[in-house]
Amino acid sequence: MESWAIEVAQAALVLGLAPGLVGVVRWLKARLQSRRGAPPWQPYYELRKLFGKEVVVSRNASWLFRLAPYVVFASTAAAACLVPALAVERPLDGVGDLLVVVYLLLLATVFLALAGLDPGSAFGGMGSSREMTVAALAEPTVALAIFALALSAGSTNLGQIVARTLGDPAAALSPGHLLAFAALFIVMLAESGRLPVDNPGTHLELTMIHEAMVLEYSGRYLALIEWAAALKLLLFFALLGNLFVPWGVAVAAEPGALALALASLVVKLAVIAIVVALLETRVAKLRLFRVPELLSVSFVLALLAVTSSFLAR
Amino acid sequence: MDTLFARLVVLESSAALILGLVLLWRRGVPAYVSAFTWQSIVLAATAATVGWFGHHGELYVVAALLVLVKGIAIPRLLGRMERRFATQRELAPYVNTATSLVVAGLLVLFGHAVMRPVVAASELPTRAAMPLAMGLVLVSLFVVVSRKKALTQVVGFLMLENGIALLALLGAYGVPLLVELGVFLDALMGFLVMQIFVYRIQETFETIDVDQLDRLRH
Repeated sequence: MESWAIEVAQAALVLGLAPGLVGVVRWLKARLQSRRGAPPWQPYYELRKLFGKEVVVSRNASWLFRLAPYVVFASTAAAACLVPALAVERPLDGVGDLLVVVYLLLLATVFLALAGLDPGSAFGGMGSSREMTVAALAEPTVALAIFALALSAGSTNLGQIVARTLGDPAAALSPGHLLAFAALFIVMLAESGRLPVDNPGTHLELTMIHEAMVLEYSGRYLALIEWAAALKLLLFFALLGNLFVPWGVAVAAEPGALALALASLVVKLAVIAIVVALLETRVAKLRLFRVPELLSVSFVLALLAVTSSFLAR
Repeated sequence: MDTLFARLVVLESSAALILGLVLLWRRGVPAYVSAFTWQSIVLAATAATVGWFGHHGELYVVAALLVLVKGIAIPRLLGRMERRFATQRELAPYVNTATSLVVAGLLVLFGHAVMRPVVAASELPTRAAMPLAMGLVLVSLFVVVSRKKALTQVVGFLMLENGIALLALLGAYGVPLLVELGVFLDALMGFLVMQIFVYRIQETFETIDVDQLDRLRH
């Protein structure tokens, strides 16, 4: 009973924190660029506003267009239930492993791409095609990076990976771990539409990816998709933070351990947010044709991670 | 103690290998120079690590020399060349960037396969890192044959030298100091000769693109 309470509390926390995280990244970026910037809680206002607005749907759009936001949000929220953001011992930990989390997120991507194609607008199709290119190139990296982690932990189960690294702290500094971290970090930037791959700051750019797909959405549909996008970003941050630097994650279901887990989660999210904001201030967007090169860098990093955790044992 | 030694050495070798991959991914020469500088510093750190855990006092001298020659002197000379040829970037190598990165990954796997019997026969705590050093040697060799600009090839050659030095460090805890000094001198001289060659190529062909050297035949 208690463990279910933790599960529900964790899911609610992740859902609630997600828009705030996006707001913090935006605010940090604004400060780094000497702008005042909207306050970090601005995305909450935006979500409330969007939920209150009416939905405008193109006459050419089919049922798929209306279904997609729910699928996107539901699969992202389902993935959120599986990620060990606070505690390791949870009833849903056995339901899905790292592969399930990644492919739930991919399911959301696929539906978003379909929804981009559905109304027949030129921009949506371009966005979908680009998103699928990026996703197809990022996929092998994700699989290999998971493989590297699973090899050193002996399991693809998220809780097991966390527990294994907690038990052997030196493993966090092994090259397999570090390389897999670097590979997943690049993939995180690509999959959540961050700067070297996609520009999250605008929807007025010809080379946009995520914004091009959701251009036709409005009202509560748009709110759901934006919320799901924020949630995806938070999930990637939490995965990077808790799988590779697992200290602080609650192993036992005690109030003290959970409070510590919450504090450490916030610290980890803040650190990764600062890194992403710095990165986004420093680098320019890559040309679309150079994105495969960036992703092949991450692929090679993941390949090296696998070799060093498998062959060099 | 040995576990810590093995882990540190593997970490440093991986860092050296990753810095070698920078040549394949980036296009600007300044990035190559800084990658080479950092790789040399990592190599020096590896020498110091092996010296500390393997109780070889003279490896500290080697580490200091590495920092001086490859960490400071050669990068400065490279920087001077870079300022002269700054406009010539590696825009169209023989093998494109994405393919070369995948090839580099395969080469590292090949390095593992080649070194497998050596690693199996070795008793040293450093044995796990030897395939990575072999990978660095193969990747740098690939840089030398797949890039067109003479300057990139020079940096690739220097990294090849670093890879061989790393392999010697890991496989035999370094070679005698006298030999090491000879190698340093060789590397420096080789680099100076290559530098003169690059300048000559530039003067004759008004580019450092080695593709143009084909014209000699016509």
